[in-house]
Amino acid sequence: MGVILLGPVGEVAGHVVAANIQVILEVPVDLLGRDEVPAHTFQFQRQQYDAGLILKYLAELNFPHFARIIAVTNVDLCTPILTHVFGEAELGGRVAVVSDCRLRHNYDGSFAPLDRYYERLAKVAVHEVAHTLSVYHCNDAKCVMRYSPKVQHLDEVGLYFCERCEFMVRKSLGHIRSTVDI
Amino acid sequence: MIGRIKILVVDDELIVRESLIGWLKKTGYEVSAAEGGRRAIEMLSEKDYDLVFLDIKMPDMGGIEVLDHIKANFPQTMVVMITAYGSVETSVEAMKRGANDYLMKPFDPEQLTLLVEKLIQQKKIIDENILLREHVATRVRYEDLVGGAKCMQQLFELIEKVSKVDSPILLRGETGTGKELVAKAIHAKSDRCYGPFIPINCGAFTETLLESELFGHESGSFTGATKAKKGRLEMAQGGTFFLDEIGEIPLKMQVDLLRVLEEKKFHRVGGTKEVPTDFRLISATHRDLMKEIERGHFRQDFYFRLNVIEIEVPPLRKRKEDIAILAQHFLDRFRRETNKPITGIDQTALELLEAYEWPGNVRELENAIERAVVLARGRSLTKDDFAFLLRSSGQVMPQSMREVEKIHIDRILKLCQWNISKAAKLLAVNRTTLHNKISKYGLRPPN
Repeated sequence: MGVILLGPVGEVAGHVVAANIQVILEVPVDLLGRDEVPAHTFQFQRQQYDAGLILKYLAELNFPHFARIIAVTNVDLCTPILTHVFGEAELGGRVAVVSDCRLRHNYDGSFAPLDRYYERLAKVAVHEVAHTLSVYHCNDAKCVMRYSPKVQHLDEVGLYFCERCEFMVRKSLGHIRSTVDI
Repeated sequence: MIGRIKILVVDDELIVRESLIGWLKKTGYEVSAAEGGRRAIEMLSEKDYDLVFLDIKMPDMGGIEVLDHIKANFPQTMVVMITAYGSVETSVEAMKRGANDYLMKPFDPEQLTLLVEKLIQQKKIIDENILLREHVATRVRYEDLVGGAKCMQQLFELIEKVSKVDSPILLRGETGTGKELVAKAIHAKSDRCYGPFIPINCGAFTETLLESELFGHESGSFTGATKAKKGRLEMAQGGTFFLDEIGEIPLKMQVDLLRVLEEKKFHRVGGTKEVPTDFRLISATHRDLMKEIERGHFRQDFYFRLNVIEIEVPPLRKRKEDIAILAQHFLDRFRRETNKPITGIDQTALELLEAYEWPGNVRELENAIERAVVLARGRSLTKDDFAFLLRSSGQVMPQSMREVEKIHIDRILKLCQWNISKAAKLLAVNRTTLHNKISKYGLRPPN
């Protein structure tokens, strides 16, 4: 798997995402460098970036040796139907994007401690990568696949999968390993 | 994880459809999409959807028009209107027309999650409710109304037919034939089955009490009326109102009820506010109401108002082939209730039950089985367990053994309609002995 930085996001954020995916999914993860956030993905009326268009841009990048590409950015992401998203991935797709834009602050507007911010970022990244492995949202209160529309929800879930989601992740990874070299 | 809930997204904008589908799929729902109203209607006719996200403004057919179609044809399907900023008024109009909620684009993720979860919970409750009602309706139809006789099959067919219309029904039949069960079956099969079934036995109340029971009363309307009370007519709103023993109703009350049926409204006793009514009326009687009219005990206009459709519930003696099934049905029930290990009813007992005239009809049979089950000592019910049926209350006790024997043989012969073989079997003697006794006592069949 490969992690790419989009825009002026901190280098450490990329390392945190790569390290956590590597540990939790037990797959090798490489840092692939930095790229610009594609300008056409900016939605002027909403002053946000369309996560769906970023995914399409990532899908066109030429990284044939990586089964999955995860972009980390600091811009505010949205979709045509949602006011904001922390990250986006197509179910069973090859690419995912996560943003730290809304993770630095708590729900009341106060700054989140650095460790809390990195933990949130890792959770969003693991969650989105699991979507690329065809794992749905989960009802387990502590599972990282539980849908978290707000940061306080992200703080409530764990960084790991519940048994069922873990099983699905392992099954998907096994299938991918049998076809390409992760 | 969430089960496969089926959702249809209807929007003319591809980007909206793709985006919403992507989000819903990640939550594990089965999602389909339609690019316009006409396509949505086609898809709805092909498959059941639990929830529809419906754009208000579409070029080929407006969302409100599609909503009207959904609510008319698939009323259990939940609909969420999708609207853009500035069309909130249309959304409010959609809510008035039956939409379950509306969302303004773009949606707040938390709001969207909560809304979908709420509607799916509601849908599950509605579906469960429908299943339970169907289950209850089936039980009423097939468990309580037992009968394989031709007349009962005709009755079942008639119930199916009349349940689809809202006309008043008059059930006629002897006491204990199951008129209330027929009324319940009609209610359960009708469109009013989601409403209440409110019965009242007109013969069980004094005139004053009946008035209060039917119409309800306001507090202080008479001595003892400390609180306002809803009457049965009011409780029956949206459902079926069953007036049992209508022949017992006093003339004054007949006028009051006639007014309710004609004007579809009434006042509580001591009240001034008009209460509207909306119920299907089923009445029942064991009396010959035409004779009651001739005697001046029953109003003709009230009779014609009640008797739009008349159904005759047959007495048990006219469907003797059902006795064995009914006896087994009641035996199963009382065996469960009493926890007694009774396995069945033996042949001699069945012959006795089939020979008996059952003046009290199914209710008498039910009571007889209950009594036999409670008192039985063996694992099977025998004719001895039903010996009480052969006793006749109020009869003068015979003086001699000869007289007792003559009366008993005469009774059994009548029970068996002078079928010598059956009677001999019941009396536990051979046919020759029975013929000798008949000659000895000079017994003769009636005409």
